[in-house]
Amino acid sequence: MFNQGGLSLEQAPPISVVLKFFITASIFGLFLGAYLTVDSLIDLPDNAYAFDLIIVHLLALGVMASFMFGALFQMLPVLAGVVIKMPQKKSTISHLLLIMGLTLQLLAFIFTEPLLYLLTSLILGMGLLHTSTLMLKELFKINDHSSSSKGMIFALSSFSIAIMLGIYLLLTLGGYIQGDLFTQVKTAHYSFALFGWISLLIIAVSFQVVEMFYVTPKYPTLMSRYLIGLLFILLLLKLIALVINFEPLAIDMVISLLLMSYATITLHRLYHRRRPTSDATVWFWRLGMGLLLLTMLITLLDNTIGVDESIKPLSYLSFIGFTLSIVFAMIYKIIPFLVWFHLSNQGYMEAPMMHDVIHPKRAKIHFWIHSLMLLGWTGAMLLNTKALTALASILTMFSFGWLLYHSVMAWKKYRYTQKYTEKIEW
Amino acid sequence: MTKIALDAREMEHPIPLQLAMKYLKEMQEDQYLYMIHRKQPIPLIEIAKEKAFQHLSHLDTHETWHILITKNQYINLKELLDV
Repeated sequence: MFNQGGLSLEQAPPISVVLKFFITASIFGLFLGAYLTVDSLIDLPDNAYAFDLIIVHLLALGVMASFMFGALFQMLPVLAGVVIKMPQKKSTISHLLLIMGLTLQLLAFIFTEPLLYLLTSLILGMGLLHTSTLMLKELFKINDHSSSSKGMIFALSSFSIAIMLGIYLLLTLGGYIQGDLFTQVKTAHYSFALFGWISLLIIAVSFQVVEMFYVTPKYPTLMSRYLIGLLFILLLLKLIALVINFEPLAIDMVISLLLMSYATITLHRLYHRRRPTSDATVWFWRLGMGLLLLTMLITLLDNTIGVDESIKPLSYLSFIGFTLSIVFAMIYKIIPFLVWFHLSNQGYMEAPMMHDVIHPKRAKIHFWIHSLMLLGWTGAMLLNTKALTALASILTMFSFGWLLYHSVMAWKKYRYTQKYTEKIEW
Repeated sequence: MTKIALDAREMEHPIPLQLAMKYLKEMQEDQYLYMIHRKQPIPLIEIAKEKAFQHLSHLDTHETWHILITKNQYINLKELLDV
């Protein structure tokens, strides 16, 4: 959808490759909201450890990895000039292994059956590694890298490391290995998944799309050239520090400061847009960057003067808010663009314009639902009331349901235009 | 030749592409699109290639891209370049 690489239209993936991942992510999000709602209303059997793991992995894999795989299948050819041959077949394998693997993982967390842990590590682990390596393989072939394509390499490498560490954790939980380094590996697994995979990918993509979508000044060269590599090296150093039992406080502080500077510069760039129109996606970006700043501020304070235990969960919530805000900002640009672009290029004169696919007002409503959801969870965490937890859970369900409805409608409009309107040769 | 001017330097993505595709679909033999952009619009150029339009991309000293596209295969687009 962008304009930096050497995209050939024949190599652009079919729209279904992208939409199937986006729709799956919304369904997993809806399921997450439903699970939280049921738990808040009828008190599911108490297993706090499994409950946390289920929530975290539904979010990180079911929602985030699905969204990010879909976006990568679309953006690799256009942002990085990378060609993934047979995208339909390869994406279907990735998609199925992700769904099957995650389902097995959730069952493993619930039933703690050794065999389920083993199957999860095989199917989910291999499935995710298959997807990340097929993308990495193509990225390594590029001769002339942009900051985004380099950033994608670091993000996908972080993801591969996080997966391998995750397999170690699963095999330990299943009793197949001793797992002497379980605690350290768990910390490193989360660091590589959250600050490596998710954050680095968002940063890599932002270096191109913020300027392109919102006509902003460019990021400072120093930042676009070195930030992602530096963060990746810091994460590797953190892994080494953890393995040799050295407290990585200083590394965490530097990571926090770097991410804070990135968020501040992005907010500054968005403030200096040449066209000061504000659609919902600009608000999602602003909210996301504000929440990243808040997350890193709490982390920094915790590593220096220490923060109250009741404040720490807020940093997890604000990090989730950051990632979801940016994902939603991207999706409300990607889906309408793809529907219009594919139909228009196929010669359908009545191809819906972007605002007819998903009206900007609908995206703005989602912004308010999403913000209310985050406020609800903040209240629920600080006040610890059942009513607020239930309300926030219902809003979570509503937020993903809203996105699911509009993604499905966009697909229906695409199919309707193909089926019932005239095509011209031009 | 009649010039269809499109200054996309301050337009948000994907408005330049939407406008350019509309112009290309309606273009006559004696017309050409003259687009000025802050980036090279690769998808537009690929569409032009795919539809057998003649095209020219030129980056000037101010880092601005000049993109010329026409259906006419006999005109020399370099002569129409305004830099």
